[in-house]
Amino acid sequence: MEVDREDGRSQNQLRPLACSRNILHRAHGSASWSQGDTKVLAAVYGPKAGTKKNENPEKACIEVIWKPKTGQIGKPEKEYEMILKRTLESVCILTVNPNTTTSIIVQVVNDDGALLPSAINAACMALVDAGIPMKHLAVAVCCCVAKSGYVILDPTKLEEQQKMKAFAYLVFPNSVHSVLPEGSLRVEGEPIENGIITSVTHGIMSVDDYFYCLERGRAASVKLSDFLRRNLQQQSTDSSKAG
Amino acid sequence: MGLPNASGDLSTEVEVDAFRRLFPLRFYEKHLLESIRPDARPLGRARETTIALGAVASANGSALAKIGSTTMLAAIKMEVMTPSLETPDEGCIGLLPLAARFPVSLSLLKTPGRPAEAAPVVAKQLSDTILSSGMINLKELSLVSGKAAWMAYLDIYCLDADGALFDTALLSAVAAFSHLEIPVVSLNDDGKIVLSEEQGLSDREPVNKEKRKINLSSVPFSLTCVLHKNYILADPTAEEESIMDTIVTVVLDSSSQLVSLQKPGGTVLAYTSAIQDCIALTRQRVKELQKILEEAISGMEVD
Amino acid sequence: MAAKPGSAPVTYSPNLGQKTRPPIFKDNDLDWVRPDGRGFHQCRPAFFRTGAVNSASGSAYAELGSTKVIVSVFGPRESKKAMMYSDTGRLNCNVSYTTFATPVRGQGSDHKEFSSMLHKALEGAIMLETFPKTTVDVFALVLESGGSDLPVVISCASLALADAGIMMYDLVAAVSVSCLGKNLVIDPVLEEESYQDGSLMLTCMPSRYEVTQLTFTGEWSTPDINEAMQLCLDACNKLGKVMRTCLKEAASGSQE
Repeated sequence: MEVDREDGRSQNQLRPLACSRNILHRAHGSASWSQGDTKVLAAVYGPKAGTKKNENPEKACIEVIWKPKTGQIGKPEKEYEMILKRTLESVCILTVNPNTTTSIIVQVVNDDGALLPSAINAACMALVDAGIPMKHLAVAVCCCVAKSGYVILDPTKLEEQQKMKAFAYLVFPNSVHSVLPEGSLRVEGEPIENGIITSVTHGIMSVDDYFYCLERGRAASVKLSDFLRRNLQQQSTDSSKAG
Repeated sequence: MGLPNASGDLSTEVEVDAFRRLFPLRFYEKHLLESIRPDARPLGRARETTIALGAVASANGSALAKIGSTTMLAAIKMEVMTPSLETPDEGCIGLLPLAARFPVSLSLLKTPGRPAEAAPVVAKQLSDTILSSGMINLKELSLVSGKAAWMAYLDIYCLDADGALFDTALLSAVAAFSHLEIPVVSLNDDGKIVLSEEQGLSDREPVNKEKRKINLSSVPFSLTCVLHKNYILADPTAEEESIMDTIVTVVLDSSSQLVSLQKPGGTVLAYTSAIQDCIALTRQRVKELQKILEEAISGMEVD
Repeated sequence: MAAKPGSAPVTYSPNLGQKTRPPIFKDNDLDWVRPDGRGFHQCRPAFFRTGAVNSASGSAYAELGSTKVIVSVFGPRESKKAMMYSDTGRLNCNVSYTTFATPVRGQGSDHKEFSSMLHKALEGAIMLETFPKTTVDVFALVLESGGSDLPVVISCASLALADAGIMMYDLVAAVSVSCLGKNLVIDPVLEEESYQDGSLMLTCMPSRYEVTQLTFTGEWSTPDINEAMQLCLDACNKLGKVMRTCLKEAASGSQE
């Protein structure tokens, strides 16, 4: 099915990705992530001693602070903070540093669609940069169901507002390279990277559309996780040369 | 946490309550093996649900929804506003001030902090769900095109919290909208909308003769499930939510369209089959809730 | 999809609520009927129930006419660290209204005053020395305001405290009287409260025959005060009995 998008992408094509790490000097880890014109900056401070009130001191605590591009933090931002916190908690190994708090500050530099997935990707890379122990990466994708029924990936702001009746933000684990034999990491016959860490949807879609989104999202997350892997390998070799 | 097997030896020695507090996860897993939950429910069964319509007489529409012991009171008050220029013949749902208000008391629960922290998030999810479900046709809230329209302020108070906060909030909101009765109003000499009977304007033509009820087109209902290993527990209590941290909330409307599927993180990864199971459980639950709501409404009509 | 931020439109209620005062109150006409058809010295039927909120240590729901109140009690729990050491327990009271409690939405947000009055009314009845270093929180939520809100809140709160097992000398019952022209009207409804010339609220411990709080507002003559107080004391006695039966029923119900 041919779909024309403003920027001439095909429906499954992501916008150009860019990621650089260790860009802030004071933070323990930082990353900037851009996906087309959407750009997000994430900084990680910690682990610091002590957990906040009402948190389990037997585990590490993760705190997310969302800074919008302009204006004050409102209800949508609170929701983003909650989703980010829960998502990152499930990828980090919280038992390594019990009774500590790690703060992640997410600064939106520019919002041109797919903001939450970009923020999740940025935060994840910043955590890697800070050396926080993690089980695997989280790879976030935004899928949109258009009014005419087709599904597109990684929409721009314009597309989000005009054409779409519903969208789904999906977060998957990255594909694992393992020394274990093929298939040993499968759960119920599905590879681990097919499991959903986080799913958030807005708008009405049929159940079938949702499963189609899942399928498209999984395909895209493979590409994204390849990008992340390359990016991490490249920068680690760079820094080892410099050091 | 110390020795992983410490609980195994203790389970025969200590009292049930002590075991439950010390090793909550073990306690639940022992139950799950038998496919039953500590409150004697099977895994897929929701708690007893009741709806009482018209709980508050000072509001135009109100409902008290109870799922297990989670209790929410929703009430709608209708006020008049001048519609915006872009949408001259549409009313508005007062979702801006909508906040699932949790009284201070609930921020001091035994699992402290949770509802207070959850309040803005539940409120945001709720307004997203109600707006995007298209349950209410905003055009029905219009009074005089371009001049006056209804603003339906929806306020929800959580009187008691024991898990499944979003489900209860949505149910109470939906029930309050179905109980809503719009007062008869007319335009007075100052160009203001006033209640017809009270101002002695009953001889005048009311502005809204026929629009006394709002037609709810596709009503959304939701079910929250907790995932733990391969188990799916429908309609969790607060205890279950705090012990097993992977929560999936599915919202379906009456024509089985997916309105929202929320899974904010959690240690368990949801695979396609688990998602399918959750959706199937929600389908069943939607039927149950529809029936409960219909019964509540027909019960009102008899009186 | 996103809610329009910032621009909350100005709204007004079609219910203006500015009715002229019925002439009936101006004359010294003794034949007028109260809005709900009660006699002047007749209270509304009271309904109480304890244990309405499971997550609280104690709670009570009260309904008198259209006044509906729910009170939950939490604690005793450790006082905040910032607080000074104290031999006696602390009581923390808070009264709030739902936005839909009053005929016009969102009126009556100022209830600091009610909170402190609730505190003073209960303080004298609770044995604070039985829970040193700790705090008991009393949260009252007025679901629907139908007149005599504060007395209902106070009576309901004392039941909730009893339900929570907080040691008290006695239950606290509260009743108010409004003065309308020459008439004394007990347990006034919202409409009567808006016309009243003066009001008196008395809270007491019926079995000990002790008053914990007494407030007057408006214009009163000495004989009227005496009469009103006597009316209140009698009504408190009866209310106290109703509350006691409610507690007994709850206790016998849980034993079975």
